[in-house]
Amino acid sequence: VTIEGLVGGAKPTDEASRRVGFFTDTTVCIGCKACEVACKEWNQLPDDGLFFTGMSYDNTVALGASTWRHVSFIERPVPLPGQEAGGFSWLLMSDVCKHCSTAGCLEACPTGAIVRTEFDSVYVQPDICNGCGYCIVGCPFGVIDRREDDGRAWKCTMCYDRLRGDMEPACAKACPTDSIVYGDLDELKERAAARVHELHGRGLTDAYLYGADEATQPGTGGVNAFFLLVDRPEVYNLPPEPVAPSRLAGQAWRSMAASVVAMAAVALGAVVSASKARRS
Amino acid sequence: VTFGRRAPRNGDGRHIDPSIGLLEGEGSQQDVPPDVAASEGSAPFAVWEGVPSERPRPADPTYYERPVLKEPVWIWAVPAYFYVGSAAGAAAVLGMVARATGGRDLAGLVRRCRWIAATGDAIGTGLLIYDLGRPERFFNMLRVFRRTSPLSVGSWILAASTPLTATSALLSGENGLKGAMADIAGAGAGLLGMPMAGYTSVLLSNTAVPVWQEARRSLPPLFVASAMSSAASLLDLMHLNGREERIVHRFGLVGKVGALAAMTAVEGDVHRVEKVGGALREGLAGGLWRAAKGLTAASLGLSLVPGAGRIKRQSSAILGTGGAILMRFAVFHAGKASARDPRATFHLQRTGA
Repeated sequence: VTIEGLVGGAKPTDEASRRVGFFTDTTVCIGCKACEVACKEWNQLPDDGLFFTGMSYDNTVALGASTWRHVSFIERPVPLPGQEAGGFSWLLMSDVCKHCSTAGCLEACPTGAIVRTEFDSVYVQPDICNGCGYCIVGCPFGVIDRREDDGRAWKCTMCYDRLRGDMEPACAKACPTDSIVYGDLDELKERAAARVHELHGRGLTDAYLYGADEATQPGTGGVNAFFLLVDRPEVYNLPPEPVAPSRLAGQAWRSMAASVVAMAAVALGAVVSASKARRS
Repeated sequence: VTFGRRAPRNGDGRHIDPSIGLLEGEGSQQDVPPDVAASEGSAPFAVWEGVPSERPRPADPTYYERPVLKEPVWIWAVPAYFYVGSAAGAAAVLGMVARATGGRDLAGLVRRCRWIAATGDAIGTGLLIYDLGRPERFFNMLRVFRRTSPLSVGSWILAASTPLTATSALLSGENGLKGAMADIAGAGAGLLGMPMAGYTSVLLSNTAVPVWQEARRSLPPLFVASAMSSAASLLDLMHLNGREERIVHRFGLVGKVGALAAMTAVEGDVHRVEKVGGALREGLAGGLWRAAKGLTAASLGLSLVPGAGRIKRQSSAILGTGGAILMRFAVFHAGKASARDPRATFHLQRTGA
């Protein structure tokens, strides 16, 4: 039995470990879904059924157990800042597991199936997972899901097998516009900050980074797959202020402790008072 | 990590030609029935009507009204466990206190408490294993201890409690060494019974599901009070002597009053944000919640009627049991509804969690 969080940490301190991630710049996404296809093909994931949703060009709908990249198609009835023609603008975003610094799924996993890798990514070991489903309610982004016919929880692995072979993840490799960039987190953050600065200079003042650091997203401690957005997070189906549930758990544990002590006191009171009643 | 090499299957949704493809990818281990590709044509939800950009933009936009969170995958076995596990915990606590501070005339009560605890732990363990996606791997629950996971903490509590409650029940009424072993096991079971009665409330509130998260202060007293009411109701269905009846009556009375008060507190917590509270007010969960309240109140009212009739006691017990069970299912279904509603998450986070 490994006692995690009591002795040592879940994070490897190996010198060979790197902090890598994705920077997804939604302003250059063209909605080609090459990332979705590359992910499915490389990871040999089954399809989720082929159906029509009416949601613009998005028939993928959401991330799921067998869908580890999902391109959102947002048709806005408003123009982008600086846009001259028409009262309409497209927003396109390739969504993915955020590989949070404080990962709700990892903290919830009771089997140790979900681990932090040497790349600082969050990985589900399919040979350990017993399908308890607790990670699914632990994820504030609604990423990880259980495949009912398989019985286990699955999500993006950040192409762990490719990283081990010194290759970039399949989605980043396939992205034709470099909307998805893979690399060392420190470099990605510099690149992202420069890109926001550039966009602001060009009049796209709505551009901002989502999840890039702890200062702007304290609930997760910042995420390893962060985004450049130009509208509110909700528009992209992202939570505006995601919080790893464990950050709030202390209040519940304290409330439970007080309640059960009160219960024991009531039990004692019931036994003692009933004996007094008998004597009187 | 090593991945097994096996012959690809046709029709498993992977669209890989078995004559040229090997299944070695990280997702290749996903077990998929061969007829998965049959789900073509219809989306598992209503097709979006109209042109998206022609709709006026609401002040609180969502992505095509699709959920932002994943709905809990748990089945009925989980709320059923919440009931039996917490009833077992409260019974173990009452049994321990009765054994430690009561006299010989409480031997019957102690034995019945121990059997309720042992039966509840055993059934609860079965229910939890039944709910797993891979039940044969239930033992992986004891692979690690993770203090950030109430499910991990709870699994260890249940794993420790089950043999203790069983020992205390099986050896109950024995004399000498066996009797001493039963008492020691009963004391251990009673101490573990305290978290057993309430940890499931922490398990629910330690999630991203808005209605559960918002109830994190009031859900624990509700689950613990309901555990007291549950255990007392089960004992009220059994034969007890006069003093035992009075003990159980008082224990249950506090439980029922506490449960009703805590239900009001839960409502106050979750209705702070209207979209969050909606999950507990509307639909299946709302109906179950009101029914649970009604049954608990009826049980309380009946047990306050003067007189010591057996029919009265047992009717109140059945109402109390029903109220406790329905309350767990109401909270469970409220969570499912809350996860389905993207605005519950968005509004909660915009108003400050």
